[in-house]
Amino acid sequence: MTRISARYLGKRLVVSYLTLLVIMSLLFVLIRSMPGSFIASMITPELDQADIEQLRETWGLNEPIWRQYIDFMINYQTGDFGRSPTYKAPVWEVIISRFPRTLVLFGAAFIAQFIVGPLVGMYLGWWRGTRKDKTIFTSSLAVYSMPAFWLAWLFIWLFNYELGWFPSTYMFTKFAEFDWTVVTIITDVLKHITLPLISIAFVSWVGAMLVMRPAMNNVTGEDYVFLAQAKGLSERTVMIKHAARNALIPVATQAIVGLAFLLNGSVIIENVFSWPGLGQVLVTSVLSRDYPVSQAAFFMLAILIVVMRLLTDIVYTYLDPRIKFGGDS
Amino acid sequence: MSTETEKSSQIDSLKERWRPRIERFRRGWDRFTEEKMGVLGIVIMVVFILWALFPDFFAPHSLEWRAYLGTEPGRLTAEQAESLPHPPAFGDPFWAPFGTNYVGQGILTLIVRAADDALYIGFAAGLLSSLVGVPLGLISGFYGNTWIDETIQRIVDVMYGLPFLPFLIVLVAIRGITTTNIILGIAVTSWLNNCIVIRGETLSLKERSYVESAKVAGASDTRIVFRHIMPNVLPLAFVFLAQDAATAIIAQASLAYLGLADFTANSWGLMLQNIKSNGYVFDAWWWLIPPGICIMLIAAAFYFIGFSMEDVTNPQGDN
Repeated sequence: MTRISARYLGKRLVVSYLTLLVIMSLLFVLIRSMPGSFIASMITPELDQADIEQLRETWGLNEPIWRQYIDFMINYQTGDFGRSPTYKAPVWEVIISRFPRTLVLFGAAFIAQFIVGPLVGMYLGWWRGTRKDKTIFTSSLAVYSMPAFWLAWLFIWLFNYELGWFPSTYMFTKFAEFDWTVVTIITDVLKHITLPLISIAFVSWVGAMLVMRPAMNNVTGEDYVFLAQAKGLSERTVMIKHAARNALIPVATQAIVGLAFLLNGSVIIENVFSWPGLGQVLVTSVLSRDYPVSQAAFFMLAILIVVMRLLTDIVYTYLDPRIKFGGDS
Repeated sequence: MSTETEKSSQIDSLKERWRPRIERFRRGWDRFTEEKMGVLGIVIMVVFILWALFPDFFAPHSLEWRAYLGTEPGRLTAEQAESLPHPPAFGDPFWAPFGTNYVGQGILTLIVRAADDALYIGFAAGLLSSLVGVPLGLISGFYGNTWIDETIQRIVDVMYGLPFLPFLIVLVAIRGITTTNIILGIAVTSWLNNCIVIRGETLSLKERSYVESAKVAGASDTRIVFRHIMPNVLPLAFVFLAQDAATAIIAQASLAYLGLADFTANSWGLMLQNIKSNGYVFDAWWWLIPPGICIMLIAAAFYFIGFSMEDVTNPQGDN
């Protein structure tokens, strides 16, 4: 890790910050250019023109657009996300309570994906062209092509509707009768997370495998692999220590892609299972024109992704000694 | 007379010029057909293309057809309405091999007539996003750590900060829910993966010794990129074209699930949305299974063809 200079890291941090600023501006433009206004969702027949004006004033819609923009940017820097018209609460509260729930589900799916995917990919790439490789590869592609929500329905049908093993909605049991100790909470969440997690992980691990397999296949022709084999090291050692380590480079790049893929899945799967996470809020708030909430939700995910990207770059340089960043080579 | 000889000599020279290419294509085709997976993909694709071209031949009914009524406008008796969605029926009381949905349309009819929609979305989105992603990825990777690379990476960074599906939702909500907008939205957001992976591969490739030697030999940047690096990333590019096509089809289905698909067009995703909104998910397996299978098959066909192409363009010995 010492090869990554402080200057390079500092530069990346500044760039990340600027990236977030640009994303915020983009969000502002995108959300403001949507048809309808979120005032419309609050207007009831009883309101007269003066009340509507009052509402506009309250939400700052009468300010010129550049003022709105500057206020928005300053508020976001200071962590003030405003109030939500539909939840009737500070946006911060709405968002922050859901963030960990999403993290739990997708952290688990992400880890599952990046353990299973590269492992399977490693073996398939190493044994490329054999019958076993072809069979597994073809069937995993077929799995990868399933629409996530449809697969989730099938799982619900089988495990919940027919067998009744796992609950199919929410994160906790509603109106539970048992006392809430740490153990019961954990087992309850585990029960509830099973189906959504399976639904996501069942499809998404293939993504990592798809990158690992050709990468693995490319490094098998490299000199250092031949050298390692010539040294008389066991095939397993060569495969894992020499070939797989270098094949992981594109997979590290793919990690960010996998995260984006999981986020798409999050929206859908959270919807299917009524999982009270960020993805669900994001969709409902965009559809109900709740600008403050959707902006904040977007923003949270943007931060997450920018941070991930930074980590990816660092891992990337760490893995491939041939790439030199930071100009101190 | 003289013109004729000129013509024939022209044709001859044309033949001469194209012969190696035809030869190469034939060799590639032979290699391709060795892969069972690619052939399977082609077969599935051909079936869907036939469905899209000749729906009247494959579908048992028109879209106006209703169970018990045929195409006559009329009313169902309470008893008949009660029996919908009807499980598969073969001629008694009507002909619907995959059963019907709750308004009495034949499922098989809907399935067959939605094939063109899926194919169109897949091909359009895949091509669009490849045309943007591959060149940008190559340039960005080759000029790694220069301002060009930085600029492209910042654009990609910014785009990545936007969650894909919600971003699609916003785009579609702003521009109206039409198939064209869905395709554009998918293309705008899906070239990123393409670009990133191609860049990563290029970064790795340009450190190779043969690129060094080409540089020393005085080859221009353009030549190095197109002659030495592009052939090596092309398999990945093909895979991504196929992947983007498949992603597009699945994304469209997801949008449909959220109620954001063009409900005037008939698509497989919309069928699934209908079964959900009418609450028959666990009661009508003949309605639930086929659209999902079809989405899966067409996406898989794109993947199969893409990955077999990779084997053709990148002939690696089996170890």
